[in-house]
This record gives sequence, structure tokens and C-alpha cells, in this order.
Amino acid sequence: MLNVRLFDITTLLFGVASVNYVTALYGKKETIARIGTWICIAAAVVSTAAIGVRWAESYRMGIGRIPVTNLYESLVFFAWSVNLFYLAVEWKYKNRTLGAFVIPIAFGTMLFAWTNESSIQPLVPALQSYWLHAHVITCFVGYAAFAVSAGVAVMYLMKAKREERKLTGGVVALFPSTKILDDLIYKAIIWGFPFLTAGIITGAAWANYAWGTYWSWDPKETWSLIVWLVYAAFLHARVTRGWHGRRAAILSIVGFLATLFCYLGVNLVLSGLHSYGGA
Amino acid sequence: MAEGKRNESLMDRVWKFFISLKLAIFVIIVLAIISIIGTIIEQNQPLEKYRQLYSDGTIRVLEGLGLFDMYHSWWFLLLLVLFTVNLICCTVDRLPRVVKVVRNPKTTLDGNLEKTLGLVDRWKRKGELKALAATYQEALGGAFARPRVTENEGTLHLYAEKGVISRFGVYVTHLSIIIIFLGAIIGNVFGFKGYANIVEGQSASVIPTRGGTNHVDLGFAVRCNKFWVEYYPNGQPKEYSSDLSVIENGREVLRKTIEVNDPLQYKGVWFYQSSYGPAGASTVTVAVRDPDGGGGETVTLSPGRKKEIAGYGTISAVDYQGNFQGLGPALLVVLEKPGNQPAQFWLLKSYPEFDRQRRDSRYLSFAGLNEIFYTGLQVAKDPGVNIVWVGCTLMVVGIMIAFFLSHQRLWIRLSRGGDGRVEVVLAGSTNKNRLVFEKKFEKIQADMKAVKA
Repeated sequence: MLNVRLFDITTLLFGVASVNYVTALYGKKETIARIGTWICIAAAVVSTAAIGVRWAESYRMGIGRIPVTNLYESLVFFAWSVNLFYLAVEWKYKNRTLGAFVIPIAFGTMLFAWTNESSIQPLVPALQSYWLHAHVITCFVGYAAFAVSAGVAVMYLMKAKREERKLTGGVVALFPSTKILDDLIYKAIIWGFPFLTAGIITGAAWANYAWGTYWSWDPKETWSLIVWLVYAAFLHARVTRGWHGRRAAILSIVGFLATLFCYLGVNLVLSGLHSYGGA
Repeated sequence: MAEGKRNESLMDRVWKFFISLKLAIFVIIVLAIISIIGTIIEQNQPLEKYRQLYSDGTIRVLEGLGLFDMYHSWWFLLLLVLFTVNLICCTVDRLPRVVKVVRNPKTTLDGNLEKTLGLVDRWKRKGELKALAATYQEALGGAFARPRVTENEGTLHLYAEKGVISRFGVYVTHLSIIIIFLGAIIGNVFGFKGYANIVEGQSASVIPTRGGTNHVDLGFAVRCNKFWVEYYPNGQPKEYSSDLSVIENGREVLRKTIEVNDPLQYKGVWFYQSSYGPAGASTVTVAVRDPDGGGGETVTLSPGRKKEIAGYGTISAVDYQGNFQGLGPALLVVLEKPGNQPAQFWLLKSYPEFDRQRRDSRYLSFAGLNEIFYTGLQVAKDPGVNIVWVGCTLMVVGIMIAFFLSHQRLWIRLSRGGDGRVEVVLAGSTNKNRLVFEKKFEKIQADMKAVKA
């Protein structure tokens, strides 16, 4: 299928871009990082086209639906969101060192997608709803923001540690200042948090419309609440003295690990209503 | 006296405990960690299931701790109560102060305030105080927000602000959580959740709730006229549908075909397509025809029952297959003709003329399987649900206000300097998004300096 071919190209592009960003970081070559940016833009174009093609192909098969309904599709959509969110941040902050910490997440996600069944399957009755669109899109914008935040948090911890030891130079010299990194961790989360909130709410509204219960403590719901609580703790911690910086960065990483578990772990490890686990 | 004071200080300490942000962070993190348990131990499963997973001793411990239904256990609810009390206390403690600050803004820029502000600029220019104030009022109104002017001992102060509402975002969000809890409580107390299996052609008006331990009389009946499943070409189910009628006082008042994701609602009670199953024995229809094309009759066969066909023999249906050797639905029949050995052969639904090959006086065709289903309906009434949605909407709005708006304030102070010129001081502050505001401040700075008298 053409869409899968295009997604494979996207995977390759993310791989090359990851190598570019990391090489640029250690070799201190801005040009290589700039090429990385262009590769990411190309990946954005190709993956957007791939999603469009896949969508169109599903209609041609007579089972038309938005391509975000099984593990493969959700993974490529996650990578797509992470890439776009990253490009927006890079453009705003004019710093390409973030790429070495975020684009590998997109690359890893695409590699994982590549090992999964990629054919277009028709929708089970439970997923045939317009809520699907709102629910999936809001959730994934949130996840992407949290991924970027966690990538920046790793950078913060690296830089803060080196500064603590009063060391200069090294790769962290290219990073933005710890103040900007700390701010960026927060900024990404305040983008992610309302989207996650909206994602949980649209999920609840959908559950209520499909089953008559907006909250049933199923593992996916509970984990989404856990993620929400971790970021709520982060947001409150930031206005408390002594919780800036290191602790906030750690909370951001913990939040993203919880996000990953909510997104993948619940389906692969636990049981529940989100059906792509068996795929 | 002394005792009164000690009491007060104890009260004070309790109050301080409940309004502290540390408690909030602690409760939030504990809620997050504790919630994990219920996703590892499957909740509300039958005892047999737990027996397969745990030893009897473990089951007793887990049961005693309420861990098989932990989200409704007393200690989890207690934690939620603590969370809510903390939320309310924080609001009661902080909101009046915010209201006060918002209602009585600091409209004059005195020396003390000036020292606390990060963004301050000063310059001098010629002109008359009042006229300059009017000019700046106009200019600031265009560039930011219309300022109010206060005169204080010969000094003129201009004050303008934007985004006051951002101070309330956090309270809107906190209030929304309480509203959601309220909606959930109302739903739990005044609503019900039940389940009804209705066989095609039958109806139900009393719904078992709480896993069958209770019943709710709807005051009307729901009849399932028909249930059916549609399939994709690959055999995967495409849609489950039930044709339902609401019958009140013996009259049909509403009829709707529900599907998964498309429920029926009557008098606040919702009916959701949830499951289905076979209800009793199915029948099959077989057509009996003359090979010359003449005549013919159809007979309905029940499992295990023989049926007599006048002037031919008796037939019975013994097996059915949904897809017989890739040829589609097929029926295995036994034909007994007087004086002959019983004959057993398949009839194919997709090939109605197939049985002509027997070259007999009659040939049979399989017209169809008449399955009888029951439809499984989730039945729910939740008078609190709309309150929950109000809370949810407020939550998103509150979060947006809290994160994306900021309370920005600008002051201009005009005073006559020793040299006869007017000293202008411009100062600004914001409670959030400092970097964005700094850029804005720079622009306003340039605008104010360039303004013509």
C-alpha cells in the first residue's frame, strides 16, 4: 500500500534526522543540525501525505474512517504530532539542540510502528463515532507536548548537573540556558495539559454516549487520570518554593513515563476497553 | 484567656494545614500512586476469577483492604474528601485576597511599588502636566488599555490593566472539579444503571440494577422488535442494531433503531446497544418445488422435529453451517421417503437450484435461517450528567484562562522636576508570560516616548 511505503520513508527520515541532530551536538556543527531541520520538515510533509493517502485508501475500500484506530495508526499519528510540535518549538526558540532529544522519540515510535500490522482494517462498531476524532486528536496533541517537555527536562538535568560541578564546555554549552529550559519544560506542559484534559473529557463524553457511563475506572481511564494528576502536581509544584528546576524536570519525565504507560502499557500489559492491545 | 488562645492556635494550625499547597501536592501524588493499584488488581471480578489468581489468604487481605473495589472503598473516598476540603480551603483562603486586589488596584505608582517592578523606564519632556496626562491617556488607550488618572499631591498617575480575569482561571478550574464531584454524587444518588436482555418480540419495564440486587420500574416498557448484525465483506461485525419501541399506557410512543454509539432516550432514561445473543432455538425455512417449475410450498423446520410434506416424505434439519466449504450458508437435511433408506444431503442457500441434481420428483432449497436473538441493553438514568458536563467545560475554560492569559499592568507617573520639565516614569508588571510582556513593554515604551504633545 502506498501509505505504508510513505510511512516507511518517514521512518527513514526520522532516523537520518536523529543522527544529524546528535552528530551536530557532539561535532558542534550547526549546518548538520540545519539539514536535520529540513529533513524533519520533509518528514512532516511525507507523513502528512501518508495519513491523507491512508484515509483516502480506507474510503476506496468502502470502510472510510480517520486513520487513528489501531496500534499502527496511533503510533504513526503520535510520531507525526511529536514532529510537528517539535518543529514549532524549534522555530520559536531558534535552538536545534532540542532535536537530539525529541526526534529520536519520533524515530523510535516509527520503528515500533514498523514492527506492527499495518493493513487497513474496518472499524468495530464501538469505534464508529464522531467522538473518535475529537478524542484521539486532543489526546495526541497532549502526548506530543509531554514528549517534548520530557526531552527538554533531560537536557535541563544534564546542563544543571554540569553547572553544579562548575564545569564548562561539553555538549551542554550549546543548550539554551537552564532558565529557558526550565521555562520550556513548563510551556510544553501548559500546552499539553489542556489538551489532555480535553482528551479525557471527550473520552468520558464518548463513553457516556456509547455505554451510559462517563467514568468506570477502567485501566485506561484510571491511567489517564494518573497522568493528569502527575502534571497537576507539576503545575502546583512550580508555584511552590524549592520545586523549580530539578524536581520539576524530574516530574516532567515521570509524567511522560506515565503517559507512555497510559498510551501503550495499558493496552499491552493490562486489560481494558481500548481494543488495539490485541493487535 | 490562655486556653482560648491555645484553641485558636490549634484552629490556626488545622487551617494552615488545609490551605497549604504542600498538602495539595501530597494528596495529588498520593491519589496518583494509589490509583495504580486498581489497574493492577482487576476490579469487581467474580470470586472464582480471584481464586485463580491469588491464594485464599491473599484474597482475605485484599478483600479486607477493599482492594477488589478500591475506587469505592472508604479510604479512597476519604482521600477524595481530603482533596476536596483542601481545594475548598485554598479557595476560601486565597480568593477574597484576589478579589480585593482586583477591586482595589494600586492605581498610583509610588516609590515602594516602583522598586518591586522589573520593568521601569524614565525620561523627561517639556510640557504641562495635565495636558501631558491627557496625551498619554489617549496614547496608552490606543497601545494597551485606557488608563484611569489619579492625582496625588501634584503628581499625576495613570494606571491601565488587561487580563484581570487571568487571576480567576485557577479558581474556575478548582470550582469545576467540585462541580464535577457534585454531578457525580447526584448521578449516584438519584440515577441508576441497569441491564436488560430483551428477546425479539418481547418487552421489559422492570430493570435490574446494581448487579441484580435491586430493581427499577421504568413506568413504561421497551420492546425489542428486531435485532440484527451487519458484517463487513471480511466477516468482521460492522454494526449491531436493535429496532426498539417505547410503549406507555399500551400505546407505542416512540420507535427507534439503536446502534452502538447511537442510543435511545425516553424520559431521561437512556438505552444503549451493549450485547446480544441467541434466544432459544432457531428455525429454518425450506422451499419444496416441482422440477417442472410448477407449484411449490415453503416449510418451517424446528431442530429435531420432522415435517411431513404431503405426497413426498418427511424432512428434518440436522445441521447448519454459516459457510460450508466456502460456498456460503448451508443446511444439512434428512429426507425419509416411504420404502426408502433415509437420505442425508446439504442444501446451499446461495445455489437454490443445487438440489435438482438428485433428479427426484421434488427438489428442496434452503431459503434461510430464522434466528431469534435477544438484545442486551445498558439502561441508565443520570440526572447529574449535565452538571458533570458543565464542570468539564468550566475546567477547560479555567485552564485556558489560567495558562494563556496574564494580568498585565502599566503605570505612568507624571511629576514636575526641578528643572521645570516633566519627569515621566513608565512601569509595568505581569503575573505570567514575562517574556511576551517584556516585548510588549518595549513597544509601548517606544510609542510613549514618540508621542506628540
